[in-house]
Amino acid sequence: MTTAGVEGAWAQKRDYGPGSRTPDGERLLADLAGTRKRLNGCAAAAYAALYANVDVITAYPIRPYTAIMMNLSQFVADGLLDAEYLVADGEHSQLSAAFGAGSCGARAFTGSSGVGVTYAYEMYSIISGARIPVHMSIADRTLDPPGDFGSEHTDALCTRDMGWLMGWAATPQEVFDKTLIAMAIGEDPRVLLPQMAVQDGYFVSHIAGEVEMPSAAQVDAYLPPYRLPFPLDPRRPVSHGPQIHPSQGPPLQLERARAMEDAIPVIRQKTDEFGATFGRHYAHFVEEYLLDDADIALVISGGHSVTCRAAIRLLRERGIKIGMARLMWVRPFPSDDLRAALRHVRAVGVVETNLGLGGSTYGGILAPDVTTALYHGQNRPLVTSFMAGLGGETVPAAEFDWMAGKLTQALERGAVEKPAHWVGFED
Amino acid sequence: MAREVIRQFLPLLEEEGRGAATDDSAGRDRHYLPDTPEEDPYQAGHRTCAGCGPAIEYRWVLKAAGQDTVVAGPTGCMYVANSTYLCTPYTVPWAHTPIASGGSFTAGMAAGYEALIRKGRHPGPYPNIITMSGDGSAADIGLGAISGALYRNHDALFICYDNECYANTGIQVSPTTPYAGMTTFTPYGKAIPEGTRLPPKNLARMMAEGHPHCYVATATVGYPVDLMNKTRKGLNHRGAAFMHCFTPCQKGWVYQTSMTVEIGRRVVEAGLFPVWEYDPAERKYRYFHPPVQRPVTDYLAMQGRFGHMLAEHIATVQRQANRNWETIGMDVPAELRAGEDPEHHRRLRDETYSMPLNRGVGA
Repeated sequence: MTTAGVEGAWAQKRDYGPGSRTPDGERLLADLAGTRKRLNGCAAAAYAALYANVDVITAYPIRPYTAIMMNLSQFVADGLLDAEYLVADGEHSQLSAAFGAGSCGARAFTGSSGVGVTYAYEMYSIISGARIPVHMSIADRTLDPPGDFGSEHTDALCTRDMGWLMGWAATPQEVFDKTLIAMAIGEDPRVLLPQMAVQDGYFVSHIAGEVEMPSAAQVDAYLPPYRLPFPLDPRRPVSHGPQIHPSQGPPLQLERARAMEDAIPVIRQKTDEFGATFGRHYAHFVEEYLLDDADIALVISGGHSVTCRAAIRLLRERGIKIGMARLMWVRPFPSDDLRAALRHVRAVGVVETNLGLGGSTYGGILAPDVTTALYHGQNRPLVTSFMAGLGGETVPAAEFDWMAGKLTQALERGAVEKPAHWVGFED
Repeated sequence: MAREVIRQFLPLLEEEGRGAATDDSAGRDRHYLPDTPEEDPYQAGHRTCAGCGPAIEYRWVLKAAGQDTVVAGPTGCMYVANSTYLCTPYTVPWAHTPIASGGSFTAGMAAGYEALIRKGRHPGPYPNIITMSGDGSAADIGLGAISGALYRNHDALFICYDNECYANTGIQVSPTTPYAGMTTFTPYGKAIPEGTRLPPKNLARMMAEGHPHCYVATATVGYPVDLMNKTRKGLNHRGAAFMHCFTPCQKGWVYQTSMTVEIGRRVVEAGLFPVWEYDPAERKYRYFHPPVQRPVTDYLAMQGRFGHMLAEHIATVQRQANRNWETIGMDVPAELRAGEDPEHHRRLRDETYSMPLNRGVGA
């Protein structure tokens, strides 16, 4: 148990109850309940924030996530959502303001893309270390250079070790659901961690899909009011973020590391509760697709998994025993679940839609984590990785075919050719 | 349904003959202040230096604000010296923020309380929301964040406690370091005899001119009642307020520790830190005219950071002071006007001046 799980009179108080909604907002949600709406990923994230009745929204424009904030500003302007909408002077301020609001006991919603994510870099460790469960909605964008609007997971992944819960959604429906699931997990008093619900720019953020609209009562039942156990409240003064003596450093850092581990059972529980409440059931950590009898498998995260699944069906028709393991969360990294999912697989290829320059594979960021997880299992499959979809390029079925070919060759040879293949640049 | 956000009102203290805003030399030495609040939300238990100007400012500001207050403290000496894990000098809620986040974190607190109270999630009243940013934070790395917060007009008071250097990291130059004030990044030497070559940013003026809807004031620890009343005016102002407070740093400026408050007055009497208020309703400045006007040497000679100054450097500072006197509508006495000529001065170590308190050189 970490210190953040404060026991005591204050933590138990039914103060900071559910916030009121506007009459128009209540009418809208009543009308929406049980319907399906065609929304792109950005709109889906905004609707989730509307349902979550967020208190403070901090915005700053950068494509492609901007549309999330455009939707929310319209909700506020139309009187559908009672929230403070704060347009910051940059992403660092944007995250700081969300941090300040969250520290006072307000549910804070923010977001960004690409270099906007990295501009705020200082704040990530500080917010998670303060255990303030801010929610951040990211639509991926390639970091500069080159100047590029396209999706690449590098922006969010740069912050992967800063103590935020982080997972990718592959469809607008998943964006909506992941936003609520992430808030429920992060705000749980056993966890108290900020969350990044990430979607691929354009592939998810700007392509419409059907999204099921729940009732406000369902969301309120699933997601209790934001209750920080130690808000900045004059009724019970606390000091946040003091200086420490170096000897106090190790135990505090250990607590932060444990907070990530402690989140794992809560993620399982909240994912199950979500299924029970809304009828949409997600894998806790790893979505398994045709893995039971697979010899080779692709490990993937985010929107390209939709194409990957289709490509795998076609490969299966040609008799190739391939499956897919999709990471629902990248932080905390699901080592146990991934090992279990790939326990029969003999060759694994990690699809990297990110850039990890000079890393151990000289390719991407995910493969080292995947390899480490698999190394500690009974079954140690061959592992390679594929650099694909960089700069926002699509990953068509033909490229998944090529990857399957490389994995089959590795099986035949008994060794991988190299730790990272650049798809489209090799035979 | 949305609820009304009830705001606090803090009554002003009697200033007649005691404040910087009144022009009364008779009350100048009255230190007995029976009508000030007994509560001290800034308590003992911190580790500031003897004679710390920012600590005095912190105490008076929080005394004026009272217990129903929330404070943000960006990184700076008043973060490091004040808060130690498992120990705190604050009886009000206080949070550390990154050095660039004084404006933005505080904006978030203000937005949070607006929403919490309006949506019935907090009973209110709306707390006094204050940030205490150092000059490095407010005039340098966090300037944009404070400007953003003033522009958006959050109901909060943004204070810059100005000790004219990055004191926490060991006395480095900041945008408010005065001309010829030496720091460890602007030492004096053969090639650069004045140390700091640049004149300071006029931070408060920039805030007032750039955000004309805000209450803006300057104050020093030399005038406690004025400081407290400006704190209360800033908090009572519905919307954003900015206060620039001159707070001497004994460690960085090298002076006798008992002289902090005296330096806080002399800087005004030397014309180097005009004390004023900006009224957003009338868009007018109200300047305090000190009853005494001194040559800048009376101020400079008290501090080791100026001990290396040569005649032409002193003349440059006197020129700046004289322009300040003109700006605030005071006559420049002939003696001070004569001080614009380097011929009028010797190097500071050899100058004669009232109360020779420091003959050292250094920062």
